[in-house]
Amino acid sequence: MMHRRVVVGLLSILALLLVAGATVRAHELRPGFLELRETAPGVYRLLWKSPAGGESPIHVVPILPRDCRLITGGQQQLTPGAPVVRGTLECPGSIQGRTIEIDGLASTTVDVLVRVHHAGGRLESHVLKPIDPQVTLGAATTGWQRALGYLRLGIEHILLGVDHLLFVLGLLLIVGGRWMLFKTISSFTVAHSITLAIATLGYASAPLLPLNAAIALSILFLGPEIVRKRQGGTSLTIAQPWLVAFAFGLLHGFGFASGLTTMGLPQAEIPMALLLFNVGVEIGQVGFVGLILALERSFRTLEIRWPRFAEALPAYVVGSLGAYWTIQRTVVLLGALR
Amino acid sequence: MKGSTPVARRLAVCGLATVCGVLVPGRAEAHLVTTGLGPVYDGISHVLMSPDDLVPILAMSLLAGLNGVRASRMTLFSLTLAWLAAGAAGFFFGHTVLPLAVTSASFLIVGGLTAADRRLAPAVVTGLAVAVGLLHGWMNGAAIAETGRSALGLVGIAATVFVCVSLVSALVTVPRAAWWRIAVRVAGSWVAAIGLLMIGWAVRGR
Repeated sequence: MMHRRVVVGLLSILALLLVAGATVRAHELRPGFLELRETAPGVYRLLWKSPAGGESPIHVVPILPRDCRLITGGQQQLTPGAPVVRGTLECPGSIQGRTIEIDGLASTTVDVLVRVHHAGGRLESHVLKPIDPQVTLGAATTGWQRALGYLRLGIEHILLGVDHLLFVLGLLLIVGGRWMLFKTISSFTVAHSITLAIATLGYASAPLLPLNAAIALSILFLGPEIVRKRQGGTSLTIAQPWLVAFAFGLLHGFGFASGLTTMGLPQAEIPMALLLFNVGVEIGQVGFVGLILALERSFRTLEIRWPRFAEALPAYVVGSLGAYWTIQRTVVLLGALR
Repeated sequence: MKGSTPVARRLAVCGLATVCGVLVPGRAEAHLVTTGLGPVYDGISHVLMSPDDLVPILAMSLLAGLNGVRASRMTLFSLTLAWLAAGAAGFFFGHTVLPLAVTSASFLIVGGLTAADRRLAPAVVTGLAVAVGLLHGWMNGAAIAETGRSALGLVGIAATVFVCVSLVSALVTVPRAAWWRIAVRVAGSWVAAIGLLMIGWAVRGR
């Protein structure tokens, strides 16, 4: 238990460094979506959903092939979660073999999903990343390729969601015993899967800014609980951490859903996307928990004795980061309401 | 070399080859990884996907593990801190010209010592760890500066070094069947062989 705290402490310090560096923002990954649907030879209905939400605006713009032109101006509308542009695009001949680029993507950490529905039913789909923000159209993509894309999206979402990871770390600090650990992580998984599905299928939604503030609050909530546990105290969270994990897991699931819902998935593809995105999230989460446990065991093997302050650090780092994010996101929320 | 064991003699030959190899001048090349997930993940991925950094880390972990818990513990912190400190120095003082085969020295020495399975004092293992950390950390830092990337990549690199060393050295430290130690030594010999190959390529490329 002591070693686990220390492991988590070190990782928490890393998280603190990341936050101090201001380069890792929780929920950075809110993918954009560009869809072109061929309605007549060389004519495409365009839909562009810009990545949006969270703590900072993301400025990326699609650069369409040079000889293509918008024959109806881009009609911009604001929808919850993302500004949307619709229009009609005309490309002499065909769009096949032409290049689409997302300008500004290289300086972000978001992805953009590009999907082209060709006449005759052929579909191609590409995930553009900061490392490679352009694609030459032409090759049809298989279901497998699209499935892998969603899986990767899920893994990336959890890895970039430092707040989610910190919440899991907080749970690890409170939980004692393997069975309780299994129960707690499982209940967190079940809970966030429920709300991820509900939100992605469109049955319910949570406004992004209050949601992010609430997620930060869940991390802040764990800070004092970890301290209480260290001091030998007890509470509902310490006695039944799985209950708290389930309750807050429902919140975090809406957060995960933001990675999918802002993309405006085609109706037919939602079940597959939902399943694989969630599997990706679980792979990332289980990998993270596994790494923490492996490190804990290694520290025990290497007989590392930590100074007392190092044992207290994790709780305060989790609490401090939770407080920092709560204040930051509340300010953003209040700014948006004004 | 009178009275020396065959292993020691081989090590001496390897050492001589290393000295010859590292005299070959050339620029340190930066093979930095871009994940699109930000500088910290770039740093993590760089270590995991760059054999010229990952192999010495693993070899150092194997050597430390063979030399017991105390050596492993000291290696864990000294290698990580040396890597981070040298990385920061390399980043701020940037631009370095290092011999082309410089990384092969750590491959050859650490790999050779692992293969030899000689009992070393924890201080010696720690000294080696510091040397490896300083060498590779400096190169990482300089490469990050030269490519205009964020210094936060060093945090990812150092964190990965720490995690790799703690996991691998703990795995080796735990007493197991006799074949386990042999397997570790074989791994060390492979690392040394790779080092020799790298020196060969460096010399041939003159």
